[in-house]
Amino acid sequence: MEPLKIGITGVRGVVGQTLTPDLVVRFAEAFGAYLDGGRVLVCRDPRPSGPMVQAAVTAGLMSVGCEVVDLGVCPTPSLQLAVPWLGASGGVSITGGHNPPEWNALKFVRGDGLYLSAVQGEELLDVFHQGAVERAGWDRLATAVAHEDAVSHHLEVLTAAFETEAIGARRLRVAVDCGNGSCAVLVPRWLTALGCEVLPINDDPSLPFPRLPEPSIATASQARAVVRAGKADLGLVLDADGERMSLVDETAQPLSEELTLPLAVEAALSRNVGPVVTNVSTTGLVERVAAAHGARVVRTPVGQAYVSQAIVEHHAVVGGEGNGGVAVPTVHATHDSAATIGLLLGHMASRKRALSQLVAALPTLAVRKIAIPVPPSLLYSALAEFREAVSALEGVTADHTDGVKLSWPDGWVHVRASNTQSLVRIIAEAEDASRAQELLDWARERLKA
Amino acid sequence: MKAIPTLKISISGVRGVVGDSLTPEMVARFAQAFGTYVGGGRVVIGRDPRTSGEMVRQAVVAGLVSSGCRVSDLGVCPTPTVQLLVRQLGARGGIAITASHNPPEWNALKFVGGDGLFLGPARGRELLDIYHQGQYAKVPGSTQRSPERIEDAVERHVRAVVEGIGPLPKGGKGLVVAVDPGGGAACVAASRLVEAIGAKAVAIHTTADGRFPRPAEPIPENLGALGDAVRKNGADVGFAQDMDGDRLAVVDAQGQPIGEELTLVLAAEQVLAHTPGPVVANLATTDAVEAMASRYGAEVTRTRIGEAHVAEGMRRSGAVIGGEGNGGVLYPRVNFARDSLVGMALILHRLSETGRSVAELAAPYDGFRVVKLQRHCPVDRARVLIERAREAWADRSPDLRDGVKVRTSEGWYIVRPSNTEPIVRVIAEASTESAARALAERAEAEVETLLGLSSA
Repeated sequence: MEPLKIGITGVRGVVGQTLTPDLVVRFAEAFGAYLDGGRVLVCRDPRPSGPMVQAAVTAGLMSVGCEVVDLGVCPTPSLQLAVPWLGASGGVSITGGHNPPEWNALKFVRGDGLYLSAVQGEELLDVFHQGAVERAGWDRLATAVAHEDAVSHHLEVLTAAFETEAIGARRLRVAVDCGNGSCAVLVPRWLTALGCEVLPINDDPSLPFPRLPEPSIATASQARAVVRAGKADLGLVLDADGERMSLVDETAQPLSEELTLPLAVEAALSRNVGPVVTNVSTTGLVERVAAAHGARVVRTPVGQAYVSQAIVEHHAVVGGEGNGGVAVPTVHATHDSAATIGLLLGHMASRKRALSQLVAALPTLAVRKIAIPVPPSLLYSALAEFREAVSALEGVTADHTDGVKLSWPDGWVHVRASNTQSLVRIIAEAEDASRAQELLDWARERLKA
Repeated sequence: MKAIPTLKISISGVRGVVGDSLTPEMVARFAQAFGTYVGGGRVVIGRDPRTSGEMVRQAVVAGLVSSGCRVSDLGVCPTPTVQLLVRQLGARGGIAITASHNPPEWNALKFVGGDGLFLGPARGRELLDIYHQGQYAKVPGSTQRSPERIEDAVERHVRAVVEGIGPLPKGGKGLVVAVDPGGGAACVAASRLVEAIGAKAVAIHTTADGRFPRPAEPIPENLGALGDAVRKNGADVGFAQDMDGDRLAVVDAQGQPIGEELTLVLAAEQVLAHTPGPVVANLATTDAVEAMASRYGAEVTRTRIGEAHVAEGMRRSGAVIGGEGNGGVLYPRVNFARDSLVGMALILHRLSETGRSVAELAAPYDGFRVVKLQRHCPVDRARVLIERAREAWADRSPDLRDGVKVRTSEGWYIVRPSNTEPIVRVIAEASTESAARALAERAEAEVETLLGLSSA
C-alpha cells in the first residue's frame, strides 16, 4: 500500500488506496472554509482518476459555500494566472505532477495565484484536522458549476511578456513531448504563437501517459528520437501539469533537468541583473552563473511555495529548482514551463546560439542523485540518525534549512525527506563525477535505513 | 434548524438537511457503498432542481466512480425517469437525488436496484450493512471511467409513456390541460407529456431553480394557483406534481382539487376498464380503491406504506395497477415506479374515453373523505408511541402491519411514524370531511396522551 502524504504542499496519494473521495471532500471543505468562500477555480491534469477527484473537490467546495469554476484539463500555472484574472479567492489543481499515473494530489493556490506559503499550509492543515467546518445552508449554495478557458488567457499573458517577433524570425524547429499531460492543451499552441515549427509527440490528453511524467534524461528518449529524425533545434520534455521541463539539444543529446534552471538564469540575467532564488538542493551552477553577472543567489528549503515566496520578497528576476521547474517573475512567481520556453527561446534568438553552445558555455559540475524508498514510520528517524552520525564531522559546513546539507570545499551532499513521497532523496555535486559519486556513496552508507 | 436531529438513514434512502446533517463526505461514502453493493457497472443518476442538487450530485459521482461504476447522468429529471432508464439502459442500479416533498433545505439519495425498483427492506438492509462496515470497493485510477451525460432521458420517458398508453383518440385532442410542476423536476417533462399525448398544455411554476414557488406537497391547500390557471384558461383538468415528479394531484375544471387520494382511483379505473386484474394500495390509502375495484370485480391487496412495499406487493400479486394515497401511481406496463407522467396519461385517457368531466369522474367517491394530520416527534419517541398505542388499542382489533390502523363504525384511522421525517402522521377516513376530521383529532388527542405518559 502506497502512503498518503498530507503536507503543506497539499494532499497526495494513490487513488484506489489512500486517496478516497471522502478524504478529498473533507480536504476541499477545509480549503473552502480556509478561504472563507468566494469563487474557487478547479483544474486537473488528464490522469484517469481526475474526474472522480474533481467531483469530490467540487462537492466539498460547494458545501461550504464556494462558487466553483471548472477550468477542465489545463496546466497548473494556467490556473494560477486565472485566479487573480477571474477575481477568485483561490484555486485547486488536481494533479499528480511528476508522480506516476496511479497517484493524484490536490495543490492549493491562494488569491494572488501562488501556492499557499508554509505557514498558510499549516493553517489549512489545522482547519482540516479540526474537522468542524461551517457549511452553507440551502439558500447560500451555488446551484451550478461555471466553466472558463484559462489556457487562452495564459497564452495572452505569455504573448504580452515575450518578444514573439524576434523569436519567430529564427523559425526554430521544436520537438515537444507533452507526455499526454495537460501541457498538450497549451505548449504546442504557445510554440506556434512564437513562430516555431512544432513537432509534437504525445499531445493527446485522452490517452494514457506513455512514460513517467518526471522530466529527466531517462524520460527524454522519444524527444531525442524526434529531434534527430526531424532535425529539430531543440526538444522539450514536459511533466503532467506544466511546471517542470528538461531539454534535448540539437544534436539529440538529452540534458539533465538540473540544467534547465542554470540556462534560464543565464537567459534572465543577460537581460536584467537581479536576485536569483533556488532551493538548497539545487546545483551550485546557479551561483557560478549568477556570479558571472554579479547577481546574488537566495537559497530556500525545497518546495515551490518557499521559492515563490522568496522570489516575491527579494524581487528576484528568476527562480526555480533542480527538478526542472523555473519561475519567470515577469509572467508570475511560480514554476511555469511555458514561460520558461519563452525565456529560453528569446535568449537563443537574441544570442543566435544553438542550445548545445549555450550549454557548453556553462561551467561544469557533476551531479549524482538517488531516491531511497523508506517506510513512512522510519522516514524521520532515519534522517535523525543520519544527522546524529554526521554531527561531529570536522571541516564541513552543515546547513539544516531542509534535511541536512554538508558542504566540503570541493563538493556537497544533501540528504532530505521528499515532500511528496515516502522517500529519502540524496543529491551530491562536485567538480567531477567520481567525487560526486563518492559523496553520494558516503552519505548512503551513513543512512541506516 | 440546527438543534433538531435531521438525518434519516432508512431503507428508503438517506435523507438530511444540507449544511447540517447531509454532508458531501457522507454522500460520497453512501454512493461508494452503493457502487460496492451493485458490484460496479453502469449506474444511472438524476436529480430534482433543489439548490443543493449539484453539490450532492458531484459527491455521488465521486463515490460511484471511485467504486468502479460507470455513471450515466440524466441531469435534472423526475425520479421515475431514473427508474425507467435503469431498465432501458440495462444498468446495475440508480440513484435519484431528491427529497421529494420535503422542504427546500432537505435533500436525499434514493437507491434503485437493477430492476428499476427502490431497494426495499431486504436489499436496503444489505446496503446499510455495507455502508456501516465501511469497507468499500476502491478501483485504481487507471480503471476509472468518466461520467457520461444522457441528454434525452426525459424525451425517452415521455416516449415510453405515450407508446405504452397510446396517444389520445380523436375526441380527446381538444383537451386543455393546466400543469403545475411546482418548480420541480417535472418542469422538464409535464408539458411535453401533455403535448406528446395530443392535448394542449398551459403551465405555471415552471422555473426549476430550487426556490420552491409553492410548498412541494401537491395537497389541496397548495394548489390555489393551479386552480386559478385552470379557470383562467378554461382548462378541462389541472395536474400538480411534487418536487421529484413521482406524485400527482388532480384539479377539476372548476379549479377545485379532488384530493390526492383520488389520483390512484381515477387512474386505476382507466386500467381496470380495459384490463381487469389485481390492484395494490398501501394501508393508509382511501377505501374508495375497493369501492372502485369491486365494480370491475378486481381484488385489492393492501401493503405497508412506501413505494418499495407497494411495488413488492404488486409483483407478488401480479397487479395491473397500484399506488398510494399521496398521489403515487404505479403502472407496471410502462414503469414499475410511482410515475406522475403515467398518472396524467391514464387520467387524460379516462376523460377522453368517457367524455365526462373530472368532477363527474370523482363524484362516485364523494363519500370517502380522508383527513391527514401530523405532529413533530423524534424517532425514539415515535417508537415508544407505537408500542404504547398497540398495547392501549389492543381491544380495537388493530392492523399492525405498519404503525397502528383501527377500523371504527365511521371509517378508520392510522397512526404511524413517517419514513422520511421526524414526524408522526395521523390519517383518518370517514364519509364526510367533518366526521373524518373528528376521527383524526380524536386519535391525535389519544396520541398526545400516550406520548405524555411517563416512561415508568
